[in-house]
Amino acid sequence: MRESQEIAEEFSFDKEKAIAKSFSQRFQWEMILIGLGQAVIWLSLWPLVLSGFLDLWAGFLIASLCACFAYLPSHEAQHGNYSRGNPKLRWLDSLVGHITLITLKFPYHILRITHMKHHAYTNDPVKDPDYANAHNTSVLKVVKNVLDGSTVQFDKFLEVFQNDKAFVNAFHQAIPIAMFYKFAPLVLVIIFPFETLLLWWLPAKIGSVYTTVFFSYYPHLGTSTGRYMNTRFWSHWMPRFLNHSMQLHFVHHLHPNIGHYDEPKAIEALKPFLIARKVPGAEQIPEKVTLNPLINI
Amino acid sequence: MMTKYHLTVHNDDQMFIEKILNHISDWGKFWFGLIFLGSIFNAILEKFTYLSGTSYIWVLAFGSGALIGLVAKIRGAWL
Repeated sequence: MRESQEIAEEFSFDKEKAIAKSFSQRFQWEMILIGLGQAVIWLSLWPLVLSGFLDLWAGFLIASLCACFAYLPSHEAQHGNYSRGNPKLRWLDSLVGHITLITLKFPYHILRITHMKHHAYTNDPVKDPDYANAHNTSVLKVVKNVLDGSTVQFDKFLEVFQNDKAFVNAFHQAIPIAMFYKFAPLVLVIIFPFETLLLWWLPAKIGSVYTTVFFSYYPHLGTSTGRYMNTRFWSHWMPRFLNHSMQLHFVHHLHPNIGHYDEPKAIEALKPFLIARKVPGAEQIPEKVTLNPLINI
Repeated sequence: MMTKYHLTVHNDDQMFIEKILNHISDWGKFWFGLIFLGSIFNAILEKFTYLSGTSYIWVLAFGSGALIGLVAKIRGAWL
């Protein structure tokens, strides 16, 4: 790295890392609550709807909301942000990572390993599993591709990383769960056609569209490769709560162990470093990122 | 082109799983159309249309689902 020639000592990577580390210690209880909570709510919809206690359309709305909340808790697990390096707590990463993804019908092992590749090769057209989403030409095309299923090119990346034993093993580990998610809706739909459509299949599609647009497309739109260039600060008319504060996603790419709810404070502290490193959009980061998620940044 | 799955260590069970995975990879859209869409179409026809109660309505429902799935398989995409 040519850092010493271009970046002042006060903005060195070591200092940036030390600040980031101070925001990477807290136990992420909110995410565990959201991840397990939405899965419990989603599961409880089935008996409630089937027994007639809850209208199917109300169930559909709740299930869609659950699906939109489903990915992020798994994402924290993918980075080991619950166990924080403690081997005795790794079960917590797996538990939350697997359970929360039931709503979206995605195997945790595959999302974890492809997400690690996304971090390692962000914006690489061949090796970044999210490249097709992030570099699409419009939101509508992203939505179409997600609905089509063509953004989930896991088999393509199995070929790209065929010599990476950990990657291939993760795929093999995921096979039983992937098959369960393939076959379970096909069995359920024969018995409960409308319930399967409106409580699982369609909400999972809506959740996948939401996740892809806000977690993958907007944060990487128009960015290039390189640690400080592959994700951007962006703004949106939408209150932060509704898009999971993904305007702040760039700090996650720099320091994935910062917990999601600690990112606003971390960004305030790291802003001078981000400007010095010319992170796209860094000048627009407010001095104070509001803690009220119901208003725009 | 469809990816063929190759598990690293082969025994009878893994060969069987490999065959299933390859079949899903090749024919997944057709089976989804036949079973999933067919079941939805069948339920809609039974519940909401004047065809309700008609014999062999399921042939129309599952046939339509299978056809859509087959077209998606040939095109390689749903949309």
